[in-house]
Amino acid sequence: MSATACLQLKDVERVYDDGHPIHALRPTDLDIFAGDYVTITGASGSGKSTLLNILGLLDRPTAGSYQFGGIDIAAAGEKVRGAVRGQKFGFVFQSYHLVLRRSALENVELGMLYGPHRARRRRDVAAEALERIGLSHRMHADPRQMSGGERQRIAIARAIATRPSVLFCDEPTGNLDSQNTANVLDVLQELHRDGLTVVVVTHDAHVASVGTRRLSVTDGRVREEQR
Amino acid sequence: MRRRNNARVLEALGVRVAKLRGVDLIRESWISIAGNPGRSLVTALGTVLGAAAFVSTLGLSSTLGRQVSAEFDVYRATEVVVRAEDAQVSREWQESEKLGVLRSLNGVQAAGARVSLFERRVQRTAALGGDTASARIVGADPEALKVIQPRLTTGRLPDQFHEETAAKVALLPKTIADKLGVQRTGVAVFVDDQAYSVIGIFDEVERSPEAMISLLVPFRVAEELSFGISADQVDREVLIETAPGAAQYIGRQAPLALHPQSPESLRAIAPPDPMTLRRSVEGNVTKLSLLLSIVALAIGTVSIGNAASASIAARTSEIGLRRAVGARPVHVFAQLLGETTVLGLAGGLAGAFLGATVTVGASLWNGWQPVIDLKQAVLATAVGAAAGLIAGLIPALKAMRIEPVAALQR
Repeated sequence: MSATACLQLKDVERVYDDGHPIHALRPTDLDIFAGDYVTITGASGSGKSTLLNILGLLDRPTAGSYQFGGIDIAAAGEKVRGAVRGQKFGFVFQSYHLVLRRSALENVELGMLYGPHRARRRRDVAAEALERIGLSHRMHADPRQMSGGERQRIAIARAIATRPSVLFCDEPTGNLDSQNTANVLDVLQELHRDGLTVVVVTHDAHVASVGTRRLSVTDGRVREEQR
Repeated sequence: MRRRNNARVLEALGVRVAKLRGVDLIRESWISIAGNPGRSLVTALGTVLGAAAFVSTLGLSSTLGRQVSAEFDVYRATEVVVRAEDAQVSREWQESEKLGVLRSLNGVQAAGARVSLFERRVQRTAALGGDTASARIVGADPEALKVIQPRLTTGRLPDQFHEETAAKVALLPKTIADKLGVQRTGVAVFVDDQAYSVIGIFDEVERSPEAMISLLVPFRVAEELSFGISADQVDREVLIETAPGAAQYIGRQAPLALHPQSPESLRAIAPPDPMTLRRSVEGNVTKLSLLLSIVALAIGTVSIGNAASASIAARTSEIGLRRAVGARPVHVFAQLLGETTVLGLAGGLAGAFLGATVTVGASLWNGWQPVIDLKQAVLATAVGAAAGLIAGLIPALKAMRIEPVAALQR
């Protein structure tokens, strides 16, 4: 494993300030290395989603530096952050965020819409991603006719189609039963085995136990749990 | 500086600035619209109605305008009357030599002189008492009669011979003939102590309706009667029948032909140009229908804007997702604007078809010839697209400000 961190937070802080400040994330140092499978647990409102949003460039820290690939992107312009988000990161959310009335394939293609590929190439790559997830047979199905587990796997296919360096998952199994949860965890495990860096936010102890590194967040403070 | 810096950072990170190709933008807009036909229909309905109102009102008004000119009185439209500006103008302009010049003009079908005198009592007998009627004594030469075109119920028109010999013959309108108890030709009627032999009775005229209350005699007969009367009590006219469409032109030429020394002393009265008439009718209707259409299209714009704004709330998660996978705010803006523009365009096109159908349907129903201007249909479609573009501005601005974090919260 590379000694230099892939994602590196230094004194990163996130304060929501409308009237009286709320410290969603207190000054935090965190290194995430390529190939890590990091799980983040914490109670609702503990700041675990804030941490994920900052790591995933969906939110900006109010203080501190965030290095990705050796470059500080905490204060970078939206063009740079958007490009990194779209091409280096993948996202999976609790409620899938699939676009209804579009087939599984079209949903996966959507993940690459703003990238460098042309339409024909996007279609091929999307089909490959679905195959990798084991959902080739559902390629033309409407997400409304799918189970939650299938929908989440479509979302994962969309996230990995761009071949990102890091996959961020926010409560990926929050809406799933145990069988579907197991399916999704299998997929994540497999992706991790293939070398993908995975960051999962969850409140499910079982899901958290799968990671190679476990973080817990309490009142905006991040603590690494030793095995 | 910033840009160069950005380029370096992007290169170091191995990423490229997110972009949305034009073809992808159109495709995305189209998929969004076609994928949700119910929402799209409701959104575009206002523009459909606006464009339909625009095309159908304009179409119907042109159709009606065409109808007005089709039913326009073809007889009146070919009549020109020339009068002297004042009674002092010498009566030379009515001489047959001048009339000959006028008749030689292209577009003149007939031209003759008429002189109208005082109103007189017409009697069945020279003696006092008996049946009487009031009538204006009007002298008209055979050519003027051709212009007036009395419809004879019995008898005949005076001819060149009567004119040249100043024969004391008369045409009676049926109303006066009835009053006098004249049923047939050959009998005499009296004006003062002069007897006129009735050679024809008419019940209608194509032009100069004032002839219906006149006793028509040869021009020269009336001319002789006029010698004793002050000039301002005598109306002198030249009646002209023109070829269809030539009335305006002949109206301008006639004073020159009749009175070359001072044409301005004569005044020609020509009917309004049917084209001008149609335009003025159309103009009025068009203004009204334009106003209606603008109101309808404004409502259409507001309805697209409203529906698009409302749909933003439902699409927050989709927009957040697009941002998460790299879309820049400008891409979100462009897509939403693209969607409303395409909707406006489609709505305008559908409305134009609908409006044309309404115009054709209403015309068929009424037996009119439908007039539809393709330019209006194209304009309606373009205005529909513009309405969509304008309507999309506010929702698109709203959408581009959606923060991915807020949008993706479950």
